[in-house]
Amino acid sequence: MVFSSVLFLFRFLPIFFILYFMTYLWPAARRMRNVILLLGSLFFYAWGEPVYVVLLLFSTLSDYVHGRLIGRFRERKVLAKVLLFTSILINLGVLGFFKYADFLLQGVNQLAGTNLPLFELPLPIGISFYTFQTMSYTIDVYRGEAKVQKNLLNFGVFVTMFPQLIAGPIVRYVDVQDDLRDHHGSIEDISYGIRRFIVGLAKKVLLANNLGLLWEEVLAVGPDNLNVLLGWLGIMAFAFQIYFDFSGYSDMAIGLGAIMGFRFPENFKYPYISCSVTEFWRRWHMTLGQWFRDYVYIPLGGNRKGLGRQVLNILIVWMLTGIWHGANWNFLLWGLWFAFFLILEKVGFGGLLDYLPKIYGFFYTALVVLLGWVIFAIEDMNGILTYVKAMFGFGAAGLYNGNALFLLKEYAVLLLVAVAASVPLVNTVANRLKKGGSGLAIAVRRFLEKVIPAVLLLASIAYIVDASYNPFLYFRF
Amino acid sequence: MNEKSNAVLTVGFFTVIILIFTIADWLTGDRIYSENENRMLATRPKFSAETLLDGSFMEDYETYVTDQFVGRDTWVELKTRGDVLLQKKVINGVYLGEDDYLIEQHLSKDIKQEDVDKKIALLNGLVEKYGAKAMLIPTADNILSDKLPFQAEYFDQKQFLDRVEEVIGEENLINVYDTLKAHAREDIYYRTDHHWTTLGAYYGYVVWKKQAGNTAVITFDPDHLTTVTDEFLGTLHSKLNLPHRKDSIQTFPETMLKQPMITYDFQTVTYTYYEEKYLDTKNKYGYFLDDNHPFIEIETGYRRGRELVLLKNSYANCLVPLLANHYDKIYMIDLRYYNGKLDNLVDQYMTPGTDMLVLYDCIHFIEDFNYYK
Repeated sequence: MVFSSVLFLFRFLPIFFILYFMTYLWPAARRMRNVILLLGSLFFYAWGEPVYVVLLLFSTLSDYVHGRLIGRFRERKVLAKVLLFTSILINLGVLGFFKYADFLLQGVNQLAGTNLPLFELPLPIGISFYTFQTMSYTIDVYRGEAKVQKNLLNFGVFVTMFPQLIAGPIVRYVDVQDDLRDHHGSIEDISYGIRRFIVGLAKKVLLANNLGLLWEEVLAVGPDNLNVLLGWLGIMAFAFQIYFDFSGYSDMAIGLGAIMGFRFPENFKYPYISCSVTEFWRRWHMTLGQWFRDYVYIPLGGNRKGLGRQVLNILIVWMLTGIWHGANWNFLLWGLWFAFFLILEKVGFGGLLDYLPKIYGFFYTALVVLLGWVIFAIEDMNGILTYVKAMFGFGAAGLYNGNALFLLKEYAVLLLVAVAASVPLVNTVANRLKKGGSGLAIAVRRFLEKVIPAVLLLASIAYIVDASYNPFLYFRF
Repeated sequence: MNEKSNAVLTVGFFTVIILIFTIADWLTGDRIYSENENRMLATRPKFSAETLLDGSFMEDYETYVTDQFVGRDTWVELKTRGDVLLQKKVINGVYLGEDDYLIEQHLSKDIKQEDVDKKIALLNGLVEKYGAKAMLIPTADNILSDKLPFQAEYFDQKQFLDRVEEVIGEENLINVYDTLKAHAREDIYYRTDHHWTTLGAYYGYVVWKKQAGNTAVITFDPDHLTTVTDEFLGTLHSKLNLPHRKDSIQTFPETMLKQPMITYDFQTVTYTYYEEKYLDTKNKYGYFLDDNHPFIEIETGYRRGRELVLLKNSYANCLVPLLANHYDKIYMIDLRYYNGKLDNLVDQYMTPGTDMLVLYDCIHFIEDFNYYK
């Protein structure tokens, strides 16, 4: 089930929250919240994955048992280590089997000329997200950073919680361990959560989906017939699409969490205003970056073992980050592409950027990121090369054509809205209004707080009802 | 008012919005058919263990809920208004043209050359076997290209017609492209519908008459065109659902000089080309020859010693009343709806002295034309 659907908004959402908030009526019913949340989440997941819901339950059970065993045998270092190892092995084994087995088999077939059959299994929804979440739990328990969760219900809620189950943010167990036992959204939390959810919905439905149409138009032209204008227009559309799609989803998840009193970590912080690639990755999919930092980069030694080792660590982390996004060569290349610039910035280029006016850093970053999106979005190597050539005027189709001008005009307003929505402008204005203490400022804010989300909500419903075009990009991961 | 009561108000406000639509949706019954979209809406899917496990129940259920959502047409209108606000010039596959023209978008990238060649070869089969002639009518985007938005693309049907001419021979194609183009300033296409108007069909008829060398009994005069309704909002309007300038539907009074006898699908018999009942519905173009039928037999009332087998789509419906005075009988076959074998049917009617005409608009010819089932 996706959030941006009639089914979710007008079936699941009202029914679930009516049941959930009935627990507010009796103090004793408070304990029922996790039962309702778990059952609701399982229904939500099974709606899209009626079979693989079993896998989700298996993962939950495996990590629950491992967590308890690691807690129990913490003193016996070797045994604890073995238990951590089996837990990680099971998690990565499941992820690896469903996500990478065919990719590896294809690689073997190509290299060795064999003809091993592929599994051709569909990727269970959200598997990349929830395996990373549960791994954070057993690792943190082993490290003594997280308390052992003895209550299977509470642990089940952590793994299956529907707001972030499918597309993040990747919530570490320690972030929510206290909320899991007893969560209670105050009326302010609920009010904030609703508005946050609607903003995310609008980002997804109004911006991402519509910019996606522009990207589709450019893709349909095909790399061979691209001209300069179409090339840039297309990849900018994709850049905005993936940003609003993914950050919109995170907003919806954070909003839904807030309604139930959970505080999920932020996942995006205006990535497109970054003035270096290092900064970009501190602002883009932050929870994934933190996960790799805490569970791969730092355990490998991070920057504490000399520059050579640090460079190697960066390479490892970014190859993994790339391949996490999909089992294909282009994602590996995408990771290495960023590793290159991150290392470049580490060994001195970053210092240089600091001396230059910020605008240079901005354009450099934009260029790296946009070319990165070409690698990301176009999966075959020839296509990527042809696309990039066309962007820089070395393609067969020249500078622009009528179609490019038509599309530019057709999407100009939407692109301007997208730019405005990806810089902190709106938030700055909102914060200024919040600080304004005068009666008028308060009245204006309270009015806008209701009217703007209401307009966004109605517009989103209209686009949802109208559209058959409603795919979530991040379902592939 | 403190922040807490403001929050209560906000929560209450959005809860009410969601609940109003949920309850309204729950209370309104299912519609079987959407007149506006001209299609059957999805119905509640049947539940079984099998459809549950393969996920098709959930998929169908989502389609069902979305199709049946309360106020569907109003939501579509709201969406269109959003697009207009964003200065979009093509919405749901329809160009917002100048002079209030809504023009359906057809792009070259959506049309495969091999499909085109396949359809032309099929047509050529009929030309060789039955001496068929073809009249393939360009759509509004080609003829009204001056009214399209800035730099709007369209599939070039002049080239397509040249290709058809090459294959089936010049004498077998009634090419109305240039004639329609010469009259592009007149109302030869509807502003809100994808069909040509009766006036457009008249210009097509003139080309046909000239090329076929047929002598007519009746002369039609465009000055005599009579408006039967000026309340027509067609299929292109439905795709946007915005308030729009309405079209008129017109007829030539000369077409009613003789009363025809028309048999639909070997069953229903009527005595007019024009079905008044459609003028009260959304689908007003159905006024011409009772909308779509697999098989229509027309006894024109004229004695001309010739008959016509017409393989056609709906573009033909407003033209046929003009063709009538050239034939004793016209057999109209709509291949999309006709499920029998074409050969059996046609051999029955293709006697010496019978013409065959294939009449489609270019786009539907490429998309739909097929007589192998």
